Amino acid sequence: MVFGFTAAAIAMLACTIPAGIVIARGDLGSAVVGYEFITSVMVMVLALLAQAFQRPSLFELPVLLAILMFGGGLVFVRAMERWL
Amino acid sequence: MVREVCSDVLLGLAVAIVLGASFGVLLMRDAYQKLHFVTPAALVAPVLVALAVLVQMGLQENTGETCLALFFMAIAGPYLSHATMRAIRVREKGDWRPGAGRRAAASGAAPASGAAPASGAAPASGAGAAPAPGEGRER
Repeated sequence: MVFGFTAAAIAMLACTIPAGIVIARGDLGSAVVGYEFITSVMVMVLALLAQAFQRPSLFELPVLLAILMFGGGLVFVRAMERWL
Repeated sequence: MVREVCSDVLLGLAVAIVLGASFGVLLMRDAYQKLHFVTPAALVAPVLVALAVLVQMGLQENTGETCLALFFMAIAGPYLSHATMRAIRVREKGDWRPGAGRRAAASGAAPASGAAPASGAAPASGAGAAPAPGEGRER
C-alpha cells in the first residue's frame, strides 16, 4: 500500500464534506454544482485508491465514472432545466 | 526516494487545490459563482494526480488509464459547466439569451400578433415573472 496515495484519497474524501453541505442546504442550482464537484473528486479518489492498493484492475473505475459523469451530469442539468 | 517525494508533492498540491475549491463551493453566494470552483477540482487536480501516478509508476497501464480518465474529464468539464449555467439561467429568467426576459415582458404586456403569451396574465417582473420550467422558451 502506498501511503501518500491513501492519505491523498482520504483527504479528498474529506474535501467533499463542504459540497455535501451545499447539496443538503443550498438551492437546486447550487446542489447540482455540488453534485458535479463531488463527482469530479470521486474520479480522483478512485484513481488514488487503485494506485494506493496497487490493483491495476481498479483503474477501470475512474475511467467509467469519468464517462458516466458526463452523461449523468447532462441528465441532471436537463431535468433541472425542464421539469424541476 | 526522489520519485516518492515528487509524487507526494504533486498529491499535496492536488489536495490543496481540491480543498480550496471545496471551500469555494461552500462559501460563494450563488450557483454561478460556485460553478467557477468546480473547474480546478475537475481539471487541474486530476492533471496533478495523473502526474503523480506517472512519476510513481512510469509509463505503464495504470498511468494510461489515469490519463484516459483525465481526458474524459477534460472533455466533459466545459460542456457540463456550460449546460449547468444555461439551465440555471433558464430556471431564473425563462430563457438563456440576454434580454429575453425583457422581450417576454414586453410581449406579455402588449401582444402585437394577437397570440396569447405563454405565461398568460402573470406579472411581468419580479421573482414571480419567470415562467414555469419548460414553458414559453424557444430552443
